[in-house]
Amino acid sequence: MKLTPAELDMDFSTAEKRICRFIKEYVENAGAQGIVLGLSGGVDSALAAGLSSKAIGGKNVLALMLPEKETVKQKDIEDAQTVADQFNLQPQICDMTKVLEGFYESIAVFDPTDRLCKGNIKARTRMIFLYYYANKQNRIVCGTSDKSETMMGYFTKWGDAASDISPIIDLYKTQVRNLAIHLGIPQELALKPSTPALWPNQLAESELEIKYETLDLILFGLERFMEPKEIAIQLGLDSIVVDRVKRRWLSNEHKRRMPLPPKLGFRTVGNDFRLPRHTY
Amino acid sequence: MKDKIKLALCQISSNREKKEANLQKIEELTHSAKNLGADLAIFPEMSLTGYVLHDQIYELAEQIPGKTVQRIERLAEKTGIHIIFGMPELSEKTRGTICNTSVLVGPKGLIGKYRKMYLPTHSVFEEKRYFRPGYEPAVFQTELGNIGLTICYDVFFPEVFRLIRLKGAQLIVCISASPAIRRGYFEILTAARALENTAYLAYVNLSGVEDGLQFWGGSRLISPTGDILAKGKYDEEDFIVCEMDYADLRSAETFIPALRDLRPELFDKLKQYSEQL
Repeated sequence: MKLTPAELDMDFSTAEKRICRFIKEYVENAGAQGIVLGLSGGVDSALAAGLSSKAIGGKNVLALMLPEKETVKQKDIEDAQTVADQFNLQPQICDMTKVLEGFYESIAVFDPTDRLCKGNIKARTRMIFLYYYANKQNRIVCGTSDKSETMMGYFTKWGDAASDISPIIDLYKTQVRNLAIHLGIPQELALKPSTPALWPNQLAESELEIKYETLDLILFGLERFMEPKEIAIQLGLDSIVVDRVKRRWLSNEHKRRMPLPPKLGFRTVGNDFRLPRHTY
Repeated sequence: MKDKIKLALCQISSNREKKEANLQKIEELTHSAKNLGADLAIFPEMSLTGYVLHDQIYELAEQIPGKTVQRIERLAEKTGIHIIFGMPELSEKTRGTICNTSVLVGPKGLIGKYRKMYLPTHSVFEEKRYFRPGYEPAVFQTELGNIGLTICYDVFFPEVFRLIRLKGAQLIVCISASPAIRRGYFEILTAARALENTAYLAYVNLSGVEDGLQFWGGSRLISPTGDILAKGKYDEEDFIVCEMDYADLRSAETFIPALRDLRPELFDKLKQYSEQL
């Protein structure tokens, strides 16, 4: 297999159709009134929102913008609003600042210099806002995680990864960008540098220490059971880079699973209790 | 036996775990098939229950013959046409042994069944966890000709198709629950199995989404020379009535004499080498 960007090409019309059908059937089968998702102004949430709108109609998609004073950027709010207008979403702004300050004050061991622990509070607080609206208004929480970030464990456990459905989680970031462009999302927004917005000026590619174009090809090779050495040769990379990606991918499996149970019973939740997902 | 027969390829989305809803769908479409002059209505793999069942399969499997098959027998009797559908079959001798089975019913009752021989257990598939494999290729002499039964992943194994062709099958029915990501493979292999055996092949796939797994539909009737004579929509439910003519087998078999040219001694080697893999 030749690891070239062409490997990540896909029939975007078919992908759009399949994802829209997946969303529509899930919402209908769950008997939900619609979807709620967090709209950040980034490409992942823009795409998830656009697909949700096409699946069930924008008037049924509540798009929460969840700024807080440390990371808020006017440009992101404007981009989110552009997407909301484009897909006729129901936008709503909820400022999380006060809630977050409440957490900071209430946690006895809170350390303002530990930006990761602090940032994770932000991601989990966004989740609480989304699930409140979901519960109150009988909506499904639509996740906005992509495959690159999920494989790398580049997300907050029970934060941004918490959702009822993950319609774009099988698309690498570069595929997300291309599908977003296919959907008519402005190119500038689709190609804008990604950030989890856990602290000011945080950038995904700087933290991951790799460009998505390269990362996605490495992950694609690993997905297809390629040897890291072969991936490194094909991409002209130092094998340390590929090994690092592989290690990070494998070591974060705990973030992608239900909590690990000790095996005691006949059938065990999250282990061998295998049941269909009932939304029906 | 008549040369020309009409098939109804009933490409449904099953309601997962809802046998009654699925039976009603099977009844409705069988009546439509009858009204359009079809002789045989074919439904996908596990069409009685849906495909993604996990542990719930133990509550849904039934013996054959059993309650569901009796109902299908009444349907076949009432409409006067043949029906093929898929279901989880509970062993008569144990209470936890299940097979993935294709059932052939005619107007006079149950004709036969085929237990899937190749159970995919990779990627999203976990069939070996739940099913016991079948051991017997299945061909049945019927008023509609010699019909061979296969199921889905069997299509990757030419030996199953060869065996049933050699047992006399002229129409091979492959019922399926194939997810969209594998569409390309099945489009190639179904045509290949028909062509290399110079037999008609009716492929009927599920459509719909179960646990995020979308089945691609695309059911088809393929001629003994590998041509697609009729084809269903991708991804959506569809209902296709199409005709086949056994008289064409003669022309196909003379133009492509693959059966005449079989080399039995190679099969011994095949056995030997596959045991050593």
